[in-house]
Amino acid sequence: MVRTSARKRWAVPVAVAALSLAGLTACSDGDSGSSVPGAAGGGGKQDDLVAAAPVAANLPAGSTMEKIKKRGQLIVGGSLDAPLLSQQNPGTKKVEGLDADFGRLLAKYIIGKPEVKIVNSASETREALLSNGTVDVVFQTYSITPERAKQVAFAGPYYSSGLVIATKKDKTGITSPADLKGKTVIAGANTPAIPAIKKVAPDAKIVTFGTDPECVQALKQGRGDAYVQDEALLLATAKQDPTVKIQGKPFTSDPYGIGLKHGDTQMKQFVNDWLKQIQASGLWARTWKNSIGTVVEGDAPQPPAIGSAPGSE
Amino acid sequence: MNVITDHLSEFGHGLLLTVELTLLSLAGALVAGTAVAAMRVSPVRVLRAAGMAYVEVLQNIPLLVWLVIAVFGLPEIGVIAGLFTTSVVVIVLYQGAYTAEAIRSGINAVPSGQGEAARALGLTFTQSLRLVVLPQALRTVVQPLGNIAIMTLMNTALAAAVGVVELTAAANRVNLAEAQPIWIFVTAGLGYMALSGLLGLATGTLERKWAILR
Repeated sequence: MVRTSARKRWAVPVAVAALSLAGLTACSDGDSGSSVPGAAGGGGKQDDLVAAAPVAANLPAGSTMEKIKKRGQLIVGGSLDAPLLSQQNPGTKKVEGLDADFGRLLAKYIIGKPEVKIVNSASETREALLSNGTVDVVFQTYSITPERAKQVAFAGPYYSSGLVIATKKDKTGITSPADLKGKTVIAGANTPAIPAIKKVAPDAKIVTFGTDPECVQALKQGRGDAYVQDEALLLATAKQDPTVKIQGKPFTSDPYGIGLKHGDTQMKQFVNDWLKQIQASGLWARTWKNSIGTVVEGDAPQPPAIGSAPGSE
Repeated sequence: MNVITDHLSEFGHGLLLTVELTLLSLAGALVAGTAVAAMRVSPVRVLRAAGMAYVEVLQNIPLLVWLVIAVFGLPEIGVIAGLFTTSVVVIVLYQGAYTAEAIRSGINAVPSGQGEAARALGLTFTQSLRLVVLPQALRTVVQPLGNIAIMTLMNTALAAAVGVVELTAAANRVNLAEAQPIWIFVTAGLGYMALSGLLGLATGTLERKWAILR
């Protein structure tokens, strides 16, 4: 090996590091042209939402809410990588999306300030995090099911989503869930799409991948005939990628609930009251517009009736 | 415990796929490892270099990265195979590197007199390796190869990340429906423990049977 002087050996890596840092800052400076859907104009609109949000008049003494207020921070179990729902903007470090916005609004309702700490939870750990008190609430596309309701309490539903089928653009013959019979179908691991596909097409072969981008990639590479995923996510994908096409309308209805500690009826009532308030004041619709409304055309849908999903009564 | 008994078929299928992945990978890794170890001790310089490059490249990149490269990268250049096949090939090549190093250490443990004697008898390099050196080398490294076998079993869980529904992925799917992570993943863990226990027993038996008395 050719000997280089100590100074030279250090000079190159240091220069590289300096350059890449300069590049990074340059990126975050000019971040307005973000490619993340739902991030458009993010910060400002979020602040508007928070400014218009209500604050609870009084908190019952000794309640969970009072403890949260004393702590000064609402600890939310959520994702940092779900586009349109709860995704961290790499430039601003702010978490953007429907779930993230609702988390901030609830924090303001309890504490008076939108102080939220997101603990990255996964579908395997949510029940445990709630029951051992690591997180106060879970906002994470948490579908309300009677099985889950045995371990956690669900406020809401606060949003109702549905699964749709996407295929490659030139694919024909798959227009409804019944057409999935005997086909290879791609789904995200740990998503409600897996049981839903089994229900409509029991003999379909299900292939799962960890993340949404991996699923889209697999669909484009022909590892499956179709990809079943939440409508909002697929709309965002289809908008960015013209080779992916959505076939038909949503074929399920997936009520998302706010996960709370099992048995905390006081807090469940409190959160449901808050949901009713923001639905009545139109804040719910504005929050929807700020995230999912950036890819779905038209007005905000009717929010689902509180307590309507089995498991949320 | 209903959580487990209601989903026995899912767990069973997952376990079966894990066993298939492990056995195919082990067989492949043993072949690949022996070939690469032979290259690394051969008198031909190019072969030695190629063997070393293989081991360094395969060992120094994590298996998950290899799997993602093979599953999502290769189709971009027109190479596409099934998820199971791709996973087996990747695990074989990856574990082959570790196996090669274990076998090479076994070859180094064979006294040099054995090789010299083989040459004195007029055996070619291939003959002396096949008939004299490798049989003794493999017997010395039964235990390290057993460890690599257990590591291979554990590493098959990474195939879950690229869509192979082996035991870990099956447990994940059951948990999605039942939301009982502790019972479900403990069950999967017990499955892995049972399999690695079997591998350990087999290794011990083989080691005692094939021990070289020097």
